[in-house]
Amino acid sequence: MNKNKTLVLLVWFAGIFALWELGAFSLVNIFHDKMAASKLPYPHEVIATLAKNWQTLSEAGAVTFSKAATGFALGASIGIILAILMSISKIAEQIAFPYLIVSQMIPVLGLAPIIFNLVRNMDASRIIIAAYITFFPVAANMLSGLKSVDIDKRELMYSYAAKKPSIYMKLMLPFSLPYLFSGLKIAAPLSVTASILVDMLGSKNGIGVKLLYSLYGGTKDIFWASVFTSALMGIISYFIVIIAERIFIPWKKEFNTKAGED
Amino acid sequence: MNAAAEIQIESVSMFYKDNKGNDIHALNNVSIDIQKGEFISLLGPSGCGKTTLLRIIADLLEPSMGKVTVCGQTPKETRMQQKYGIVFQNPVLYDWRTVKNNVRLPLEMMKINKTEQNSRIEKQLELVGLTNFKNHYPHQLSGGMQQRVGIARALAIQPEILLMDEPFSALDEFTREKLNEDLLRIWSKTNKTVIFVTHNISESVFLSDRVCVLSPHPGRLSAIVDIDLPRPRTREIRETPEFFSLVSKIRNSFEGV
Repeated sequence: MNKNKTLVLLVWFAGIFALWELGAFSLVNIFHDKMAASKLPYPHEVIATLAKNWQTLSEAGAVTFSKAATGFALGASIGIILAILMSISKIAEQIAFPYLIVSQMIPVLGLAPIIFNLVRNMDASRIIIAAYITFFPVAANMLSGLKSVDIDKRELMYSYAAKKPSIYMKLMLPFSLPYLFSGLKIAAPLSVTASILVDMLGSKNGIGVKLLYSLYGGTKDIFWASVFTSALMGIISYFIVIIAERIFIPWKKEFNTKAGED
Repeated sequence: MNAAAEIQIESVSMFYKDNKGNDIHALNNVSIDIQKGEFISLLGPSGCGKTTLLRIIADLLEPSMGKVTVCGQTPKETRMQQKYGIVFQNPVLYDWRTVKNNVRLPLEMMKINKTEQNSRIEKQLELVGLTNFKNHYPHQLSGGMQQRVGIARALAIQPEILLMDEPFSALDEFTREKLNEDLLRIWSKTNKTVIFVTHNISESVFLSDRVCVLSPHPGRLSAIVDIDLPRPRTREIRETPEFFSLVSKIRNSFEGV
Protein backbone atom coordinates (compact mmCIF):
# COMPACT_ATOMS: atom_id res chain seq x y z
CA MET A 1 0.00 0.00 0.00
CA ASN A 2 1.37 3.42 -0.84
CA LYS A 3 1.65 6.41 1.48
CA ASN A 4 -1.40 8.23 0.11
CA LYS A 5 -3.68 5.26 0.69
CA THR A 6 -2.44 4.88 4.26
CA LEU A 7 -3.09 8.55 4.90
CA VAL A 8 -6.62 8.37 3.45
CA LEU A 9 -7.33 5.35 5.61
CA LEU A 10 -6.00 7.04 8.76
CA VAL A 11 -8.03 10.21 8.19
CA TRP A 12 -11.07 8.06 7.49
CA PHE A 13 -10.83 6.16 10.76
CA ALA A 14 -10.00 9.30 12.74
CA GLY A 15 -13.00 11.05 11.16
CA ILE A 16 -15.43 8.28 12.05
CA PHE A 17 -14.05 8.10 15.58
CA ALA A 18 -14.38 11.87 16.05
CA LEU A 19 -17.92 11.96 14.65
CA TRP A 20 -18.95 9.10 16.88
CA GLU A 21 -17.43 10.74 19.97
CA LEU A 22 -19.28 13.94 19.10
CA GLY A 23 -22.56 12.06 18.66
CA ALA A 24 -22.18 10.27 21.99
CA PHE A 25 -21.23 13.53 23.70
CA SER A 26 -24.29 15.36 22.36
CA LEU A 27 -26.65 12.55 23.40
CA VAL A 28 -25.40 12.74 26.98
CA ASN A 29 -24.74 16.44 27.43
CA ILE A 30 -27.06 18.23 24.97
CA PHE A 31 -30.11 15.95 24.69
CA HIS A 32 -29.67 14.53 28.22
CA ASP A 33 -30.78 11.14 26.96
CA LYS A 34 -30.93 8.60 29.78
CA MET A 35 -30.52 5.72 27.30
CA ALA A 36 -27.44 7.27 25.71
CA ALA A 37 -25.18 4.40 26.76
CA SER A 38 -27.25 1.84 24.83
CA LYS A 39 -28.09 4.06 21.88
CA LEU A 40 -24.64 5.41 21.16
CA PRO A 41 -21.93 4.78 23.73
CA TYR A 42 -18.60 6.61 23.68
CA PRO A 43 -16.35 4.70 21.26
CA HIS A 44 -13.36 4.98 23.58
CA GLU A 45 -15.40 3.25 26.28
CA VAL A 46 -16.36 0.49 23.86
CA ILE A 47 -12.71 0.00 22.92
CA ALA A 48 -11.76 -0.08 26.59
CA THR A 49 -14.39 -2.76 27.26
CA LEU A 50 -13.22 -4.65 24.22
CA ALA A 51 -9.66 -4.61 25.52
CA LYS A 52 -10.74 -5.63 29.04
CA ASN A 53 -12.91 -8.52 27.84
CA TRP A 54 -10.76 -9.45 24.88
CA GLN A 55 -10.12 -12.98 26.10
CA THR A 56 -13.78 -14.03 26.51
CA LEU A 57 -14.92 -12.14 23.42
CA SER A 58 -12.25 -13.64 21.18
CA GLU A 59 -12.96 -17.13 22.53
CA ALA A 60 -16.67 -16.67 21.79
CA GLY A 61 -15.80 -15.19 18.41
CA ALA A 62 -13.51 -18.10 17.58
CA VAL A 63 -16.31 -20.63 18.20
CA THR A 64 -18.67 -18.76 15.88
CA PHE A 65 -15.98 -18.00 13.31
CA SER A 66 -14.60 -21.52 13.03
CA LYS A 67 -18.07 -22.94 12.36
CA ALA A 68 -18.74 -20.16 9.86
CA ALA A 69 -15.47 -21.02 8.11
CA THR A 70 -16.30 -24.73 7.96
CA GLY A 71 -19.76 -23.96 6.61
CA PHE A 72 -18.29 -21.49 4.15
CA ALA A 73 -15.83 -24.09 2.83
CA LEU A 74 -18.59 -26.67 2.54
CA GLY A 75 -21.02 -24.26 0.87
CA ALA A 76 -18.37 -22.98 -1.52
CA SER A 77 -17.47 -26.55 -2.57
CA ILE A 78 -21.12 -27.39 -3.18
CA GLY A 79 -21.56 -24.13 -5.10
CA ILE A 80 -18.55 -24.85 -7.32
CA ILE A 81 -19.65 -28.42 -8.04
CA LEU A 82 -23.20 -27.30 -8.82
CA ALA A 83 -21.93 -24.61 -11.18
CA ILE A 84 -19.72 -27.10 -13.03
CA LEU A 85 -22.56 -29.62 -13.34
CA MET A 86 -24.92 -26.92 -14.63
CA SER A 87 -22.37 -25.75 -17.18
CA ILE A 88 -21.69 -29.29 -18.43
CA SER A 89 -25.34 -30.19 -18.85
CA LYS A 90 -28.03 -27.83 -20.05
CA ILE A 91 -30.66 -30.18 -18.62
CA ALA A 92 -28.99 -30.17 -15.21
CA GLU A 93 -29.13 -26.39 -15.30
CA GLN A 94 -32.79 -26.32 -16.27
CA ILE A 95 -33.63 -28.73 -13.47
CA ALA A 96 -31.44 -27.23 -10.77
CA PHE A 97 -31.66 -23.50 -11.32
CA PRO A 98 -35.31 -22.98 -10.26
CA TYR A 99 -34.54 -24.86 -7.02
CA LEU A 100 -31.59 -22.57 -6.42
CA ILE A 101 -33.78 -19.50 -6.88
CA VAL A 102 -36.50 -20.91 -4.61
CA SER A 103 -33.87 -21.77 -2.00
CA GLN A 104 -33.02 -18.10 -1.81
CA MET A 105 -36.63 -17.15 -1.13
CA ILE A 106 -36.76 -19.04 2.17
CA PRO A 107 -35.68 -16.59 4.88
CA VAL A 108 -32.68 -17.91 6.79
CA LEU A 109 -34.31 -16.60 9.96
CA GLY A 110 -37.07 -19.14 9.46
CA LEU A 111 -34.87 -21.90 8.17
CA ALA A 112 -32.37 -21.84 11.04
CA PRO A 113 -34.79 -23.14 13.73
CA ILE A 114 -36.00 -25.85 11.34
CA ILE A 115 -32.46 -27.04 10.72
CA PHE A 116 -31.72 -26.90 14.45
CA ASN A 117 -34.81 -29.01 15.21
CA LEU A 118 -33.72 -31.52 12.58
CA VAL A 119 -30.11 -31.99 13.59
CA ARG A 120 -30.34 -31.07 17.29
CA ASN A 121 -26.72 -30.04 17.28
CA MET A 122 -25.55 -26.45 17.57
CA ASP A 123 -22.27 -26.85 15.69
CA ALA A 124 -23.87 -28.80 12.86
CA SER A 125 -26.64 -26.19 12.58
CA ARG A 126 -24.11 -23.36 12.40
CA ILE A 127 -22.20 -25.18 9.66
CA ILE A 128 -25.30 -26.09 7.66
CA ILE A 129 -26.76 -22.58 7.76
CA ALA A 130 -23.42 -20.99 6.88
CA ALA A 131 -23.07 -23.45 3.99
CA TYR A 132 -26.65 -22.80 2.91
CA ILE A 133 -26.10 -19.06 2.71
CA THR A 134 -22.73 -19.48 0.95
CA PHE A 135 -23.54 -21.88 -1.85
CA PHE A 136 -25.88 -19.66 -3.86
CA PRO A 137 -23.72 -16.60 -4.54
CA VAL A 138 -20.81 -18.96 -5.22
CA ALA A 139 -22.78 -21.17 -7.63
CA ALA A 140 -24.39 -18.22 -9.42
CA ASN A 141 -21.12 -16.31 -9.91
CA MET A 142 -19.14 -19.39 -10.90
CA LEU A 143 -21.80 -20.39 -13.43
CA SER A 144 -21.81 -16.94 -14.96
CA GLY A 145 -18.01 -17.22 -15.24
CA LEU A 146 -18.19 -20.61 -16.94
CA LYS A 147 -20.74 -19.20 -19.38
CA SER A 148 -18.64 -16.13 -20.19
CA VAL A 149 -15.68 -18.02 -21.68
CA ASP A 150 -14.84 -16.35 -24.99
CA ILE A 151 -15.76 -18.29 -28.09
CA ASP A 152 -12.28 -17.85 -29.59
CA LYS A 153 -10.64 -19.28 -26.47
CA ARG A 154 -12.87 -22.33 -26.88
CA GLU A 155 -12.06 -22.58 -30.59
CA LEU A 156 -8.38 -22.75 -29.73
CA MET A 157 -9.10 -25.84 -27.59
CA TYR A 158 -11.25 -27.26 -30.38
CA SER A 159 -8.42 -26.80 -32.87
CA TYR A 160 -6.22 -28.89 -30.54
CA ALA A 161 -8.87 -31.64 -30.57
CA ALA A 162 -9.09 -31.23 -26.77
CA LYS A 163 -11.34 -33.48 -24.68
CA LYS A 164 -13.79 -32.18 -22.09
CA PRO A 165 -11.66 -32.82 -18.98
CA SER A 166 -8.72 -30.85 -20.35
CA ILE A 167 -11.03 -28.09 -21.64
CA TYR A 168 -12.30 -27.69 -18.08
CA MET A 169 -8.91 -27.95 -16.40
CA LYS A 170 -7.02 -25.71 -18.79
CA LEU A 171 -9.69 -23.23 -19.86
CA MET A 172 -13.08 -23.15 -18.13
CA LEU A 173 -11.97 -23.34 -14.50
CA PRO A 174 -9.05 -20.90 -14.63
CA PHE A 175 -11.19 -18.50 -16.68
CA SER A 176 -13.96 -18.61 -14.05
CA LEU A 177 -11.70 -18.06 -11.04
CA PRO A 178 -12.19 -14.26 -10.88
CA TYR A 179 -15.97 -14.80 -11.05
CA LEU A 180 -15.74 -17.43 -8.31
CA PHE A 181 -13.90 -14.97 -6.10
CA SER A 182 -16.61 -12.32 -6.58
CA GLY A 183 -19.03 -14.89 -5.22
CA LEU A 184 -16.73 -15.83 -2.34
CA LYS A 185 -16.33 -12.16 -1.39
CA ILE A 186 -20.10 -11.79 -1.10
CA ALA A 187 -20.50 -15.09 0.74
CA ALA A 188 -17.74 -14.82 3.37
CA PRO A 189 -19.27 -12.09 5.59
CA LEU A 190 -22.72 -13.67 5.05
CA SER A 191 -21.50 -16.99 6.42
CA VAL A 192 -20.30 -15.21 9.58
CA THR A 193 -23.70 -13.54 9.92
CA ALA A 194 -25.40 -16.91 9.51
CA SER A 195 -23.25 -18.46 12.22
CA ILE A 196 -24.01 -15.58 14.63
CA LEU A 197 -27.71 -15.98 13.88
CA VAL A 198 -27.62 -19.65 14.85
CA ASP A 199 -25.78 -18.70 18.09
CA MET A 200 -28.84 -16.71 19.04
CA LEU A 201 -31.16 -19.70 18.80
CA GLY A 202 -30.03 -20.87 22.22
CA SER A 203 -26.45 -21.86 21.93
CA LYS A 204 -24.24 -22.04 25.02
CA ASN A 205 -21.26 -20.32 23.46
CA GLY A 206 -20.40 -18.09 20.53
CA ILE A 207 -20.42 -14.36 19.93
CA GLY A 208 -24.16 -14.37 19.18
CA VAL A 209 -24.80 -15.56 22.73
CA LYS A 210 -22.78 -12.65 24.12
CA LEU A 211 -24.81 -10.26 21.98
CA LEU A 212 -28.11 -11.71 23.12
CA TYR A 213 -27.32 -11.94 26.85
CA SER A 214 -25.72 -8.53 27.10
CA LEU A 215 -28.60 -6.94 25.18
CA TYR A 216 -31.20 -8.29 27.60
CA GLY A 217 -28.95 -8.46 30.64
CA GLY A 218 -28.32 -4.74 30.69
CA THR A 219 -24.56 -4.98 30.22
CA LYS A 220 -24.46 -2.35 27.50
CA ASP A 221 -20.70 -2.06 27.33
CA ILE A 222 -20.30 -5.78 26.63
CA PHE A 223 -23.06 -5.57 24.04
CA TRP A 224 -21.27 -2.92 22.04
CA ALA A 225 -17.95 -4.67 22.41
CA SER A 226 -19.62 -7.80 21.01
CA VAL A 227 -21.02 -5.81 18.09
CA PHE A 228 -17.49 -4.60 17.39
CA THR A 229 -16.16 -8.15 17.56
CA SER A 230 -18.86 -9.39 15.17
CA ALA A 231 -18.10 -6.61 12.69
CA LEU A 232 -14.42 -7.41 12.96
CA MET A 233 -15.12 -11.07 12.18
CA GLY A 234 -17.02 -10.12 9.03
CA ILE A 235 -14.20 -7.86 7.90
CA ILE A 236 -11.56 -10.50 8.63
CA SER A 237 -13.49 -13.11 6.63
CA TYR A 238 -13.59 -10.72 3.68
CA PHE A 239 -9.89 -10.02 3.83
CA ILE A 240 -9.03 -13.71 4.02
CA VAL A 241 -10.83 -14.11 0.68
CA ILE A 242 -8.96 -11.09 -0.73
CA ILE A 243 -5.62 -12.64 0.28
CA ALA A 244 -6.63 -16.00 -1.23
CA GLU A 245 -7.57 -14.18 -4.42
CA ARG A 246 -4.10 -12.66 -4.65
CA ILE A 247 -2.56 -16.09 -4.25
CA PHE A 248 -4.82 -17.90 -6.71
CA ILE A 249 -5.15 -15.18 -9.36
CA PRO A 250 -1.60 -13.91 -9.77
CA TRP A 251 -2.37 -12.77 -13.33
CA LYS A 252 -4.92 -10.16 -12.24
CA LYS A 253 -4.18 -6.77 -13.83
CA GLU A 254 -4.01 -4.78 -10.59
CA PHE A 255 -1.25 -7.03 -9.25
CA ASN A 256 1.12 -6.55 -12.18
CA THR A 257 2.79 -3.78 -14.10
CA LYS A 258 2.89 -3.45 -17.86
CA ALA A 259 6.04 -4.30 -19.76
CA GLY A 260 7.63 -2.03 -22.34
CA GLU A 261 6.07 -1.53 -25.76
CA ASP A 262 7.65 -2.87 -28.91
CA MET B 1 -6.71 -31.20 -60.62
CA ASN B 2 -3.22 -31.45 -59.26
CA ALA B 3 -2.85 -34.66 -57.28
CA ALA B 4 0.36 -33.52 -55.64
CA ALA B 5 -1.30 -30.50 -54.02
CA GLU B 6 -1.14 -30.55 -50.24
CA ILE B 7 -4.46 -28.78 -49.85
CA GLN B 8 -7.22 -29.15 -52.43
CA ILE B 9 -10.21 -26.86 -52.22
CA GLU B 10 -12.82 -28.24 -54.64
CA SER B 11 -15.94 -26.27 -55.60
CA VAL B 12 -16.58 -25.08 -52.06
CA SER B 13 -19.77 -23.11 -51.46
CA MET B 14 -21.13 -21.81 -48.20
CA PHE B 15 -24.64 -20.60 -47.37
CA TYR B 16 -26.00 -19.67 -44.00
CA LYS B 17 -28.62 -17.51 -42.34
CA ASP B 18 -27.59 -14.43 -40.37
CA ASN B 19 -29.27 -13.41 -37.08
CA LYS B 20 -32.01 -11.58 -39.00
CA GLY B 21 -32.84 -14.72 -40.95
CA ASN B 22 -31.45 -13.44 -44.25
CA ASP B 23 -29.74 -15.95 -46.52
CA ILE B 24 -26.04 -15.21 -46.83
CA HIS B 25 -24.13 -16.64 -49.75
CA ALA B 26 -20.67 -16.49 -48.23
CA LEU B 27 -18.73 -18.52 -50.78
CA ASN B 28 -19.60 -19.53 -54.33
CA ASN B 29 -17.83 -22.42 -56.00
CA VAL B 30 -14.26 -21.74 -54.90
CA SER B 31 -11.48 -24.09 -56.04
CA ILE B 32 -7.81 -23.63 -55.15
CA ASP B 33 -4.86 -26.06 -55.06
CA ILE B 34 -2.16 -25.25 -52.57
CA GLN B 35 1.32 -26.81 -52.80
CA LYS B 36 3.40 -27.98 -49.89
CA GLY B 37 5.59 -25.21 -48.48
CA GLU B 38 3.69 -22.52 -50.34
CA PHE B 39 2.79 -19.14 -48.83
CA ILE B 40 -0.74 -18.34 -50.02
CA SER B 41 -2.79 -15.26 -49.20
CA LEU B 42 -6.56 -15.08 -49.26
CA LEU B 43 -7.16 -11.40 -49.98
CA GLY B 44 -10.38 -9.45 -50.15
CA PRO B 45 -12.68 -6.88 -48.59
CA SER B 46 -14.99 -7.79 -45.72
CA GLY B 47 -17.81 -10.06 -46.78
CA CYS B 48 -15.74 -11.87 -49.41
CA GLY B 49 -15.68 -15.10 -47.42
CA LYS B 50 -11.91 -15.27 -46.91
CA THR B 51 -12.16 -16.00 -43.20
CA THR B 52 -15.01 -18.45 -43.88
CA LEU B 53 -12.77 -20.33 -46.30
CA LEU B 54 -9.92 -20.47 -43.77
CA ARG B 55 -12.30 -21.72 -41.10
CA ILE B 56 -13.52 -24.45 -43.45
CA ILE B 57 -9.94 -25.60 -44.00
CA ALA B 58 -9.35 -25.49 -40.22
CA ASP B 59 -12.48 -27.61 -39.61
CA LEU B 60 -14.06 -24.81 -37.59
CA LEU B 61 -16.87 -24.73 -40.21
CA GLU B 62 -18.40 -27.30 -42.58
CA PRO B 63 -18.90 -26.23 -46.19
CA SER B 64 -22.46 -26.35 -47.57
CA MET B 65 -21.16 -27.81 -50.82
CA GLY B 66 -17.84 -29.03 -52.21
CA LYS B 67 -14.98 -30.47 -50.24
CA VAL B 68 -11.55 -29.75 -48.88
CA THR B 69 -8.80 -32.35 -48.82
CA VAL B 70 -5.67 -31.84 -46.71
CA CYS B 71 -2.76 -34.27 -47.21
CA GLY B 72 -5.25 -36.74 -48.67
CA GLN B 73 -7.64 -36.62 -45.70
CA THR B 74 -10.54 -34.56 -44.41
CA PRO B 75 -9.95 -31.33 -42.47
CA LYS B 76 -11.40 -33.04 -39.40
CA GLU B 77 -8.86 -35.87 -39.55
CA THR B 78 -6.10 -33.30 -40.00
CA ARG B 79 -7.34 -31.33 -37.00
CA MET B 80 -7.56 -34.46 -34.84
CA GLN B 81 -3.93 -35.20 -35.70
CA GLN B 82 -3.04 -31.66 -34.61
CA LYS B 83 -1.40 -30.77 -37.88
CA TYR B 84 -2.79 -27.22 -37.89
CA GLY B 85 -1.22 -24.25 -36.23
CA ILE B 86 -3.76 -21.44 -36.12
CA VAL B 87 -3.07 -17.76 -35.49
CA PHE B 88 -6.27 -15.86 -34.87
CA GLN B 89 -7.15 -12.24 -35.50
CA ASN B 90 -7.06 -11.63 -31.75
CA PRO B 91 -4.04 -13.25 -30.12
CA VAL B 92 -6.40 -15.48 -28.03
CA LEU B 93 -3.91 -15.90 -25.23
CA TYR B 94 -4.96 -17.39 -21.91
CA ASP B 95 -4.69 -14.56 -19.37
CA TRP B 96 -3.82 -16.89 -16.50
CA ARG B 97 -0.78 -18.32 -18.25
CA THR B 98 2.53 -16.57 -18.61
CA VAL B 99 4.00 -16.12 -22.09
CA LYS B 100 5.99 -19.35 -21.89
CA ASN B 101 3.02 -21.30 -20.54
CA ASN B 102 0.80 -20.01 -23.33
CA VAL B 103 3.29 -21.45 -25.80
CA ARG B 104 3.32 -24.63 -23.67
CA LEU B 105 -0.46 -25.11 -23.92
CA PRO B 106 -0.62 -27.02 -27.24
CA LEU B 107 2.43 -29.07 -26.22
CA GLU B 108 0.60 -30.17 -23.05
CA MET B 109 -2.37 -31.13 -25.21
CA MET B 110 -0.08 -33.27 -27.37
CA LYS B 111 1.37 -34.92 -24.23
CA ILE B 112 4.91 -34.01 -25.17
CA ASN B 113 7.39 -34.57 -22.35
CA LYS B 114 8.52 -31.68 -20.17
CA THR B 115 12.12 -31.47 -21.39
CA GLU B 116 11.03 -31.37 -25.01
CA GLN B 117 8.36 -28.77 -24.09
CA ASN B 118 10.94 -26.49 -22.52
CA SER B 119 13.38 -26.73 -25.40
CA ARG B 120 10.67 -26.00 -27.97
CA ILE B 121 9.40 -23.04 -25.92
CA GLU B 122 12.93 -21.61 -25.70
CA LYS B 123 13.38 -22.02 -29.43
CA GLN B 124 10.06 -20.48 -30.43
CA LEU B 125 10.33 -17.53 -28.05
CA GLU B 126 13.79 -16.82 -29.40
CA LEU B 127 12.45 -16.98 -32.95
CA VAL B 128 9.78 -14.36 -32.21
CA GLY B 129 12.15 -12.34 -30.01
CA LEU B 130 10.31 -12.66 -26.72
CA THR B 131 12.82 -14.60 -24.63
CA ASN B 132 13.04 -11.76 -22.10
CA PHE B 133 9.27 -11.71 -21.63
CA LYS B 134 8.69 -15.41 -21.05
CA ASN B 135 7.52 -14.91 -17.46
CA HIS B 136 5.19 -11.99 -18.22
CA TYR B 137 1.43 -12.26 -18.33
CA PRO B 138 -0.31 -11.42 -21.65
CA HIS B 139 -1.90 -8.19 -20.39
CA GLN B 140 1.57 -6.88 -19.59
CA LEU B 141 2.51 -7.01 -23.29
CA SER B 142 1.70 -4.71 -26.19
CA GLY B 143 -0.63 -5.89 -28.99
CA GLY B 144 2.27 -6.71 -31.31
CA MET B 145 4.05 -8.73 -28.66
CA GLN B 146 0.85 -10.63 -27.85
CA GLN B 147 0.42 -11.51 -31.51
CA ARG B 148 4.00 -12.81 -31.61
CA VAL B 149 3.20 -15.07 -28.65
CA GLY B 150 0.27 -16.37 -30.73
CA ILE B 151 2.65 -17.14 -33.60
CA ALA B 152 5.15 -18.86 -31.30
CA ARG B 153 2.33 -20.96 -29.88
CA ALA B 154 1.14 -21.98 -33.35
CA LEU B 155 4.68 -22.90 -34.45
CA ALA B 156 5.53 -24.80 -31.25
CA ILE B 157 3.55 -27.87 -32.28
CA GLN B 158 5.57 -27.95 -35.51
CA PRO B 159 2.39 -27.97 -37.60
CA GLU B 160 2.28 -29.09 -41.20
CA ILE B 161 0.10 -26.13 -42.05
CA LEU B 162 -0.02 -22.66 -40.56
CA LEU B 163 -3.40 -20.93 -40.83
CA MET B 164 -3.36 -17.20 -40.12
CA ASP B 165 -6.60 -15.22 -39.92
CA GLU B 166 -5.84 -11.49 -40.32
CA PRO B 167 -3.23 -11.82 -37.58
CA PHE B 168 -1.89 -8.28 -37.92
CA SER B 169 -5.05 -6.36 -38.79
CA ALA B 170 -5.49 -4.89 -35.31
CA LEU B 171 -1.96 -3.50 -35.26
CA ASP B 172 -0.62 -0.15 -36.42
CA GLU B 173 1.11 0.07 -39.81
CA PHE B 174 4.65 0.20 -38.36
CA THR B 175 4.19 -2.84 -36.17
CA ARG B 176 2.45 -4.65 -39.01
CA GLU B 177 5.35 -4.16 -41.44
CA LYS B 178 7.84 -5.20 -38.76
CA LEU B 179 5.88 -8.38 -38.05
CA ASN B 180 5.54 -9.07 -41.80
CA GLU B 181 9.33 -9.18 -42.03
CA ASP B 182 9.58 -11.27 -38.87
CA LEU B 183 7.02 -13.69 -40.28
CA LEU B 184 8.97 -14.14 -43.54
CA ARG B 185 12.17 -14.72 -41.59
CA ILE B 186 10.46 -17.35 -39.42
CA TRP B 187 8.74 -18.96 -42.39
CA SER B 188 12.01 -19.24 -44.35
CA LYS B 189 13.43 -21.25 -41.44
CA THR B 190 10.48 -23.60 -41.09
CA ASN B 191 9.06 -23.88 -44.61
CA LYS B 192 5.52 -24.61 -43.52
CA THR B 193 2.59 -24.28 -45.86
CA VAL B 194 0.99 -20.97 -44.87
CA ILE B 195 -2.52 -19.75 -45.61
CA PHE B 196 -2.71 -16.10 -44.70
CA VAL B 197 -5.99 -14.17 -44.65
CA THR B 198 -5.75 -10.41 -45.05
CA HIS B 199 -7.53 -7.36 -46.44
CA ASN B 200 -4.26 -5.50 -46.95
CA ILE B 201 -3.04 -5.67 -50.56
CA SER B 202 0.60 -4.71 -49.99
CA GLU B 203 0.86 -7.10 -47.06
CA SER B 204 -0.33 -9.96 -49.27
CA VAL B 205 2.11 -9.04 -52.05
CA PHE B 206 5.02 -8.71 -49.65
CA LEU B 207 4.43 -12.09 -48.03
CA SER B 208 3.02 -14.47 -50.61
CA ASP B 209 3.99 -16.83 -53.39
CA ARG B 210 0.45 -16.50 -54.72
CA VAL B 211 -2.43 -14.19 -53.83
CA CYS B 212 -5.98 -15.50 -54.17
CA VAL B 213 -8.20 -12.47 -54.79
CA LEU B 214 -11.73 -12.92 -53.45
CA SER B 215 -14.66 -10.64 -54.30
CA PRO B 216 -17.81 -10.23 -52.22
CA HIS B 217 -21.57 -10.83 -52.65
CA PRO B 218 -21.32 -13.71 -53.18
CA GLY B 219 -17.77 -14.50 -52.04
CA ARG B 220 -15.94 -15.85 -55.05
CA LEU B 221 -12.45 -16.30 -56.41
CA SER B 222 -11.84 -13.58 -59.01
CA ALA B 223 -8.12 -14.09 -59.65
CA ILE B 224 -5.00 -15.90 -58.51
CA VAL B 225 -1.93 -13.69 -58.89
CA ASP B 226 1.58 -15.15 -58.89
CA ILE B 227 4.01 -13.02 -56.89
CA ASP B 228 7.35 -13.63 -58.57
CA LEU B 229 9.34 -11.21 -56.43
CA PRO B 230 12.68 -12.71 -55.40
CA ARG B 231 13.23 -14.03 -51.87
CA PRO B 232 14.45 -13.29 -49.26
CA ARG B 233 12.37 -10.13 -49.29
CA THR B 234 13.20 -7.10 -47.20
CA ARG B 235 11.37 -3.81 -46.68
CA GLU B 236 13.19 -2.23 -49.68
CA ILE B 237 11.20 -4.45 -52.02
CA ARG B 238 8.10 -2.44 -51.11
CA GLU B 239 9.61 0.52 -53.02
CA THR B 240 10.27 -1.33 -56.28
CA PRO B 241 8.22 -0.81 -59.50
CA GLU B 242 7.55 -4.58 -59.66
CA PHE B 243 5.94 -4.38 -56.23
CA PHE B 244 3.74 -1.42 -57.26
CA SER B 245 2.66 -3.08 -60.50
CA LEU B 246 1.62 -6.24 -58.62
CA VAL B 247 -0.33 -4.14 -56.12
CA SER B 248 -2.21 -2.33 -58.91
CA LYS B 249 -2.74 -5.57 -60.84
CA ILE B 250 -4.43 -7.04 -57.75
CA ARG B 251 -6.40 -3.86 -57.07
CA ASN B 252 -7.80 -4.03 -60.62
CA SER B 253 -8.81 -7.67 -60.32
CA PHE B 254 -11.54 -7.05 -57.72
CA GLU B 255 -15.06 -7.34 -59.04
CA GLY B 256 -18.12 -5.62 -57.67
CA VAL B 257 -16.57 -3.91 -54.68
